[in-house]
Amino acid sequence: MYEGLSSPNIHTPSNLSEYASTILHYPSSTLWAGGTFIMTRPEAYPSRTMNAEIIYLGNIEELHRFQRNDRSAEFGAMVTLDGILSTGKAVLPRVLIDNIQTIGSRLITRRATVGGTISTKDFTTSFPGTLITLDASAEVRFIRKRRLHSRWMPITRLLDKAGRIAIPQQGMISRVRIAFTDKNCQYFDEVGSFMLDPENSVAAAFTATLDQDILINPKIAFTYPTHGVCYSRDIDSIFSSLRFPLDDAEFSTLEQMIFTFVESSFQDISPLQRTRTSGIIRKIVDDLNEKALTISPESR
Amino acid sequence: MKIDCTIDGKTLTLSLNSDKPLSLILRENMGEDSALNHCSGRMCGLCTVLVDGKAMLACMVPAFEIRGRNVTTFASFRKTRNMKDIEKAYESVGRYPCSECFPSRSLIFESLIDEGITDPEEILKEFTIVKCPCMDPDDAVNIVRRGIEIRRKRNVRRPQLT
Ligand SMILES: Cc1cc2nc3c(=O)[nH]c(=O)nc-3n(C[C@H](O)[C@H](O)[C@H](O)COP(=O)(O)OP(=O)(O)OC[C@H]3O[C@@H](n4cnc5c(N)ncnc54)[C@H](O)[C@@H]3O)c2cc1C
Ligand code: FES
Repeated sequence: MYEGLSSPNIHTPSNLSEYASTILHYPSSTLWAGGTFIMTRPEAYPSRTMNAEIIYLGNIEELHRFQRNDRSAEFGAMVTLDGILSTGKAVLPRVLIDNIQTIGSRLITRRATVGGTISTKDFTTSFPGTLITLDASAEVRFIRKRRLHSRWMPITRLLDKAGRIAIPQQGMISRVRIAFTDKNCQYFDEVGSFMLDPENSVAAAFTATLDQDILINPKIAFTYPTHGVCYSRDIDSIFSSLRFPLDDAEFSTLEQMIFTFVESSFQDISPLQRTRTSGIIRKIVDDLNEKALTISPESR
Repeated sequence: MKIDCTIDGKTLTLSLNSDKPLSLILRENMGEDSALNHCSGRMCGLCTVLVDGKAMLACMVPAFEIRGRNVTTFASFRKTRNMKDIEKAYESVGRYPCSECFPSRSLIFESLIDEGITDPEEILKEFTIVKCPCMDPDDAVNIVRRGIEIRRKRNVRRPQLT
């Protein structure tokens, strides 16, 4: 069915300069990485747009590269999630590994790419939030004055005011840099199905160093797939000001402060998302309380 | 768009929309309607095929990506020696997938057996994609382990026969 109705043109550049000339010729092309998100949209096929242009990134050799030094790892945008696990499982932060593992089957992780996880449109995967808690940055390639430029940007800078990832028009993520971290508290949780029930699911990533009873450099990000990422330095500062373990009253105050911020960013999160967010905060605090209590008395 | 590929051992040149999902190609262009699902993003996990020997969800593979590649559906896989190993493993453990997910599960079992994966966590993770609840997790792990033993024995025997 639908054959010949609107068969998109497929461009398969094999390096970044070929990519640049293709995107200059066809500025409104769709970028195609692993296709796991594009193909699972109910309206994916047949394509509604006539004369659609697709740029398949899979043949661009530069985007498959992986490099590391003693401080960070750099992944080309076309490195798959499975590729990340096999190259960096031993050295990469736990919070990222846990995030990848929630996707589950390698039938998906063998195809889904680093670039694709960050760039989904009108939907936010749990990855940008996790990358924010790791101070990760992305190299963005964009066209200006008919030339391909590149700029490294912290993932936080890719968020627009509404908490959505906003890549510049005709922009492409080409690399992602993730610093190794020795933070001793790393936590990732995703509750509900991002793909099947996005209106009711939520993910959170949290990283910090617990030193005796205080947190150093805490970062927490909540992701609501149909809304975006909720990240604020103010919430991080609240965590920095706490002394663990927290009692019930302190927990309630913290929870209230977080909700004030979440609901000022996203007014209409569902009641289930609210309950699930609350459950995640509880788990993080319980974990921190337990860690704080098990630190030997001498080191206090 | 003209696509050259091999499907179930047949070398073909198909005239297709470049972004048509492989699940629909198999259903509409190859008459593979009994085995292949196309759930439009509901993540049923019932459309597994082997592409160059690796298990993939056919609904997530666009036509332009099968250019020059070798696609094996359950319809042809079921006649292979490898499927016999999996059937023996089912029999030995005493559990079979239900008729709905039999093709998909069998192809996922094949890719796990082929890679020799025995870690229960990894095995169960692979099956999270199949939403059908017909199989107990422990049984799935035992089937993979048994399948690996059966395959190993067959591979050891084969050189002695030749
Ligand atoms: C069964 C299943 C389960 C899933 N479970 C989860 C889950 O639990 N949690 C979760 O967060 N997500 C989940 N996902 C979503 C998954 O994270 C995305 O499908 C995946 O990350 C998209 O990557 P991709 O390479 O396939 O991107 P594609 O589908 O190819 O592209 C996605 C979008 O990004 C754009 N794009 C791709 N690469 C680039 C680039 N380099 N630069 C700029 N734009 C680009 C494309 O134009 C497109 O708009 C699941 C998906 C599936 C199919
Ligand atoms: S048809 Fe349902 S996941 Fe492919």
